[in-house]
Amino acid sequence: MTDRRKDTVFSCVMFLLAGAWTWQVLSTIPPGYGDGDIGPRAFPLAFGLILLALAALLFVTSWPPDREDLCVVAPGGKEVQLSQKIHWLPSALLLGELVLYGFLLEKLGFLIATPVVILLVMMLNLRIRSLRRLFGMSLGLTLGCWLVFEKLLGIYLASGTWIDLG
Amino acid sequence: MELFLQAASVAFLPSAIGAVGLGVLIGLIFGSIPGLTFTVALALALPITFSMEPVAAIGLLLGTYIGGMTGGSVSAILLGIPGTPSAAATVLDGYPMTKKGEASIALGTAVIVSVFGGIFSLIVMIVSVDLVSRLAISFGPAEIFALVLFGMSTICGLCGGSIIKGLISGVLGLMMMTIGLDEIDGVPRMTFDSVNLLQGVNLLVAMIGLFAIPFIIEVATQRMDVAPTRVAKIRAHLPSLNLLWRKVWLMVRCSVLGTGIGAIPGTGGAIASFLAYDHARRFSKERDSFGKGNIEGVIAPETANNAVTGGTLIPLLSLGIPGDPATAIVLAGLMIHGITPGPALFMQHATEVYGMYIAVVIAYVWVLALQLVGIRFFVHVLKIPRELLAVAVLVLCAIGAYSIRNSAFDIYAMGVIGVLAYVFVALRVPITPIILGMVLGPTLENEFRTAMMLSGGKAGIFLTSPIALLFFTLALLVIGLQVVSELKFRRNPQEKVKA
Repeated sequence: MTDRRKDTVFSCVMFLLAGAWTWQVLSTIPPGYGDGDIGPRAFPLAFGLILLALAALLFVTSWPPDREDLCVVAPGGKEVQLSQKIHWLPSALLLGELVLYGFLLEKLGFLIATPVVILLVMMLNLRIRSLRRLFGMSLGLTLGCWLVFEKLLGIYLASGTWIDLG
Repeated sequence: MELFLQAASVAFLPSAIGAVGLGVLIGLIFGSIPGLTFTVALALALPITFSMEPVAAIGLLLGTYIGGMTGGSVSAILLGIPGTPSAAATVLDGYPMTKKGEASIALGTAVIVSVFGGIFSLIVMIVSVDLVSRLAISFGPAEIFALVLFGMSTICGLCGGSIIKGLISGVLGLMMMTIGLDEIDGVPRMTFDSVNLLQGVNLLVAMIGLFAIPFIIEVATQRMDVAPTRVAKIRAHLPSLNLLWRKVWLMVRCSVLGTGIGAIPGTGGAIASFLAYDHARRFSKERDSFGKGNIEGVIAPETANNAVTGGTLIPLLSLGIPGDPATAIVLAGLMIHGITPGPALFMQHATEVYGMYIAVVIAYVWVLALQLVGIRFFVHVLKIPRELLAVAVLVLCAIGAYSIRNSAFDIYAMGVIGVLAYVFVALRVPITPIILGMVLGPTLENEFRTAMMLSGGKAGIFLTSPIALLFFTLALLVIGLQVVSELKFRRNPQEKVKA
């Protein structure tokens, strides 16, 4: 996909987002109460409308999407696009692991949730296969953080509702 | 003079110097870990001061505040993740310097200019505490709105290649901060009946997500696709005196800016550092190298955000008005020890006030010593394999996000915002304007609405104040200059692409 085509898609997504936002603002937030109170709706509504306008402007400036792109010329004369490839799978995987971490933190507590998620991230995202690294990092980092934050600095780290190791 | 000597004899007691040092160390640790702010550090340090002498106690709190403000730059420069919101602007050029192998120069410069900014603001505070506090207090909602709007106009300078994309990014930041319970009317906005969303999107959580998650995904994708990029050879040397001398005028300007912003309640280090960054970029001879590792891009925000520390003490000491949550805790510490700030402070507690001034100087000496000694150790972070560093960053960021409100929701929010930031970076949409929108958004809205209520709905309130008019004019000027520069670029695009 060319940079301009990406801009076109991005502007369409932003336009839809701004439209949904504006509609939601109009239907759920009350207007001002008079006497100079412009109300809680004014700013979110204004931001939604501004985003609509900006998305439309970006769409216009990126059209037509198959027009010649702006490129940088790398050593050797090869043209390189300015935008990068989006890696959807690693991004979705990391997001899933963070959601799992949040869930496990509340259910199993920091001391169990953390090594589990570290192992998952190291094996699935980072493709680390060394057992020494896997267990060293997961256990070392968990215990290190627990000692420093919970015991030394007195910062509360989650204890689980299902299992509570303290 | 007698009172000053009396204060010095208390402030230079080993216990007082040690207390300040302890505070600086706590602040540095909390400031350098994303999510653990110096406000949290101050809250944790406050009970330690209960049994201390007033000067040592306030010294410990001020040390924590100052240490935290400087500590934010460490992770901003080394990892590209700001430890505190006031270090967000430091990432823009600090992290590219690290990528070029100039981490120690960036860190050393940040420390030295931080001390410069802090001491400068202290001197300004001592000399002009009365005058500046009277000027700052004359800032009503209309003037603060105009100042924040001027701050927003700097978005144009952070847009990178496309003003439209930068503005979209900024508006998204503004929109995010309207989510949650409306501060003025108490109305839930865009919460979709979710209890978690009632508190809104936390600025720190968003900041951690915006800067940390793209780094982790980048490391993961590099392991999957290509050979990892190597950080240039790590050298451990400091900026030369010649370099610092050449930038001294920039440091003075940013110190004045930071002190002035700090003196206005409700503003703070993040606004000051972004304004200073934009100011440095706008007046630099090497404008095009900003964002690619220009040392001025580290000097400006770090000088300004540390100059804020002295600035915030001006309304705090003379009027008892804390400028931000951190100084509110310092105020609590003062009152716990029987020191009530206000016009009578200098008559009733002159010794303690002089003691505080000396404590600030001692705190900066500690900062200088700890950070300069620490640089040779800090830079070794870069020797850790990137995949292991990414795991450690992930866990630290998750702890930081969770500990803000003890809520797993903040970890989810961090993840979602982070993945969006990664997509934005890949699409060449700048993410710094999102931070600026989030930092300035609530103040912008609240001050505008308060001004409108005070004037009974008459917009003329914004046009009758000379201070507000000055900031509006400056904002228009900044936007105008940026539009002209964009039009020039459209006529000759290759020039900018090559740059």
